[in-house]
Amino acid sequence: MKHEDKLRIQAWMDGELAPKEAAQIATLIEQNPEALALSEELRVVENALHFGEKPVILDDSRDFYWSQIERQIDAEEPLPEPYAVPVTVSSNLLRWMVPVGSLGAIVILMMNFGAISPQTQPSVPGVISDAPVSATPTGLTESASGREEESTEPNGMGVINFQGIQGSRHLSDPEDPNTLPESIENPDR
Amino acid sequence: MAKKLDIPNADDEALVRAAQRGAMPPYEELVHRHRDKIYARAFSMLRNEEEALDLSQGAWVKGWQRLKQFKHNSSFTTWMTRICINLCLDFLRKRKRKQTDSLDQMEEESGGVERRMPVEEFNPTENVEREELRLQIDDAMLKLSYEHRTVLILHEFERLEYKEIAKAMHCSIGTVMSRLFYARRKLATLLISLKKERHR
Repeated sequence: MKHEDKLRIQAWMDGELAPKEAAQIATLIEQNPEALALSEELRVVENALHFGEKPVILDDSRDFYWSQIERQIDAEEPLPEPYAVPVTVSSNLLRWMVPVGSLGAIVILMMNFGAISPQTQPSVPGVISDAPVSATPTGLTESASGREEESTEPNGMGVINFQGIQGSRHLSDPEDPNTLPESIENPDR
Repeated sequence: MAKKLDIPNADDEALVRAAQRGAMPPYEELVHRHRDKIYARAFSMLRNEEEALDLSQGAWVKGWQRLKQFKHNSSFTTWMTRICINLCLDFLRKRKRKQTDSLDQMEEESGGVERRMPVEEFNPTENVEREELRLQIDDAMLKLSYEHRTVLILHEFERLEYKEIAKAMHCSIGTVMSRLFYARRKLATLLISLKKERHR
């Protein structure tokens, strides 16, 4: 008898075979004495095991056994969830102020840097340069009139005209959330 | 106002539901009721009192931690027994990794030995008292490797199907069938020799 047939006899006795295969094995057991002997041996073992296992009783007292479990539970109890800061108006404002403020600071720095850049034509007091100004590496942008709007100071230092900046379509208005870049609107991105 | 639970007289389901709400005393009562059964299963698999004690207590700790996952689809003791069995299997797997298999064990694993075993026609259970037979089975089980013992326990005492055993033991259904076949045939041989020894 093939080893596979022996395993199928066992599976048949355990009720693990499909009906068609079970019928084939039942026929095999009827016709093959070796298959019959094997099935009887397996049945004897199965019956013996039905007598059950030797009872095992714990020697430890109830309280001692439980105290050890309780101690482990206490030791492995998960830590309380971290304190969640309640969402308030001020916390929401703070959340927006940090990126918006940073953006504003960068813009101011860029414009200041542009104003004192050595590449910028030294301005003559009282005269506004006619040279067209396009977007420069310093971040300055064209004003609505196509010129860099700069007031001049006697010492030659550029003073930023905030009217011009606010009029620019290329810069975000930090007060208007609709104009904020996506990365600021959705800090998670 | 909610009715106070009469813990000593409450049934398991009521105790489990109370424990699932975070009450520890009902869980303590469940431990007292079923600790012998859980310990016995750990002991039958591990065959070592100290390890069985540690792992059975570990099972109760895990049971508490996962109690909210218990959906009452089976009895609480069945659920707890599964936790205990899984812990024992993990433990035995780790221990086995550290050991080097003997040639006999490897042959048992590959399933070649049972092919050479003659079929026993002598009934080892005839004229044997129930308690005596239990002792004989216990002695015979001790002589099996943990894989064969476990597969027998899961199939015969826990009533798991082949596919459930395969899942628990991280092996194929074919391996389960081979191990079960070997374990049964070996058990038959051992029971007969034990009976002969006792009647000598």
